[in-house]
Amino acid sequence: MMNKTGDLLGAIGGVPRPDVDVVVDARDVNKWFGRLHVLKDVSLQVKRQETVVVIGPSGSGKTTLIRCINHLEKIQRGRIFVNGHLIGYREAGGGSKLVEDKEKNIAQQRQEIGMVFQRFNLFPHMTAVENIIEAPIQVRGMARDDAMVMGRALLERVGLAAKETVYPNQLSGGQQQRVAIARALAMKPALMLFDEPTSALDPEMIGEVLEVMKELAREGMTMIVVSHEMGFAREVANRVVMMDEGVVVEEGTPDQIFSAPTQERTKAFLSKIL
Amino acid sequence: MSALHSRGIRPATLVGCLFLLALVVTGCSSGKRSFQFDGNIFLADLNPTSAGVLGALYVTLIISVVAQALGVLLGVLAALGKMAKIVPLRVIANGYIWFFRGTPLLVQLVFFYYGFGAAHIWGWDDITLMGGFFIPGAVWAAMVILGVNEGAYMAEIIRAGILAVDPGQTEAAKSLGMTYRLTMTRIVLPQAARVIIPPLGNEFNNMLKTTSLIFVLGVVETYNHYVILQGLNYRPFEAYAACALWFLLLTTIWGFIQSRIEIRFSRGTATGSAGQSGPGNPGFAARLMSLRAPIEQ
Repeated sequence: MMNKTGDLLGAIGGVPRPDVDVVVDARDVNKWFGRLHVLKDVSLQVKRQETVVVIGPSGSGKTTLIRCINHLEKIQRGRIFVNGHLIGYREAGGGSKLVEDKEKNIAQQRQEIGMVFQRFNLFPHMTAVENIIEAPIQVRGMARDDAMVMGRALLERVGLAAKETVYPNQLSGGQQQRVAIARALAMKPALMLFDEPTSALDPEMIGEVLEVMKELAREGMTMIVVSHEMGFAREVANRVVMMDEGVVVEEGTPDQIFSAPTQERTKAFLSKIL
Repeated sequence: MSALHSRGIRPATLVGCLFLLALVVTGCSSGKRSFQFDGNIFLADLNPTSAGVLGALYVTLIISVVAQALGVLLGVLAALGKMAKIVPLRVIANGYIWFFRGTPLLVQLVFFYYGFGAAHIWGWDDITLMGGFFIPGAVWAAMVILGVNEGAYMAEIIRAGILAVDPGQTEAAKSLGMTYRLTMTRIVLPQAARVIIPPLGNEFNNMLKTTSLIFVLGVVETYNHYVILQGLNYRPFEAYAACALWFLLLTTIWGFIQSRIEIRFSRGTATGSAGQSGPGNPGFAARLMSLRAPIEQ
């Protein structure tokens, strides 16, 4: 089904090429929830076509970090650049202050950043294919016929061609998540964020979702994945980032992190999970 | 979702109604001066081909529909205003809701119609639309005042509907690059509609009956028609019985329409994707016939 290279991204007309080599550049990001300091000077760079898996105990700030990357969460200090564009803010006072950007500009920036949620968040009042073509039509102004062609191609690539006119509540969790991935891809994003995409799934459905994600990574999509799937990280990740208590504790290749972690906190976390 | 099922008739209510009816009928004959119910006058009063009946019903219907539509529109705006980040918008929305829910509709009607007219604030002049369609001042004043009043009540219903939509839906829409407006119109409001539709149906049922208050503006709608009629023939029992029957017919027909709409809007939910009456969404007829107590979900 998904063995041929270029299949998934072929459905959207090829690998989206970011303008720059560093797709995500987060610098000294700080975030507070009230008095709780959830991100402390977090810096992260993701290069084009790289797959980065972020691991760490719950409450470590990994989900918050990727939600900041498409400005679903505000940040209080630091800068996040995607494709060279400052996300969510514009600089004021000679670059010393951050002012939240206009809603329209933020919406435009988000078009380049696909996101897949833990709880799928498909639109329940739309069929599978309508979920996929909604944003291309409404946001990108794509013609409905063209969008349908792309939507059908995407559904086929995630193995759900037969589910075109089915509503989300009639799909299994794994199927819903695959539609959600197709929906995000339909905007031809330069970057895909995955927020624990398999955590809400029954064990037997995890494989089908990971398979689609592996395919995407192989085809050269730039991805940041928050996940507890260590097998996936080992196989697909170019880099693994270990977070704890709002800081990046350690990062390296999967081999380095899983076989020879240097930090105590990484060792402690991995011993609990592996 | 209890509102969805609160329109079934409890057996106790039915028994109560029959008891009251019996009381009225026996009361008629046991009084000092006997009262003879005149079936012919009653039927003549009821007859839709009698002068003015259809016209009065038309006025009731058109004012109800326009006022309710205006109410929904204002309700959406007020609900969004109440939830807005911008403080002045919240103040305006809250003030609007506070005033119109805090004063009697009857007072609003006379104040904004007669009061504003007398103070030369707003005259409610008759208007003629482009097609030569004539609307008396009192009629469109009634539409506007009823609509603005209704909007204050709809605001709370719509706000509850919007809050019932999973925040994940907004996040998903935003992550796809949708603006606030697109997110609301394409994703949130259509889903909120499912929660809003059942109480909206009840609001319209209320609106049909509430229009009877606009007799104070001199509009001849269904109720006012029968007020005038009984003044002419001195038969208030027959006239008001006919009046009540007409309103009952209107609300009953609306009940059927409402259950159709509710089934349609449950598309994509666990109980209603097949587009027909399911266990969670019985048709109106089924609810009426089964005479059952409301189901709490």
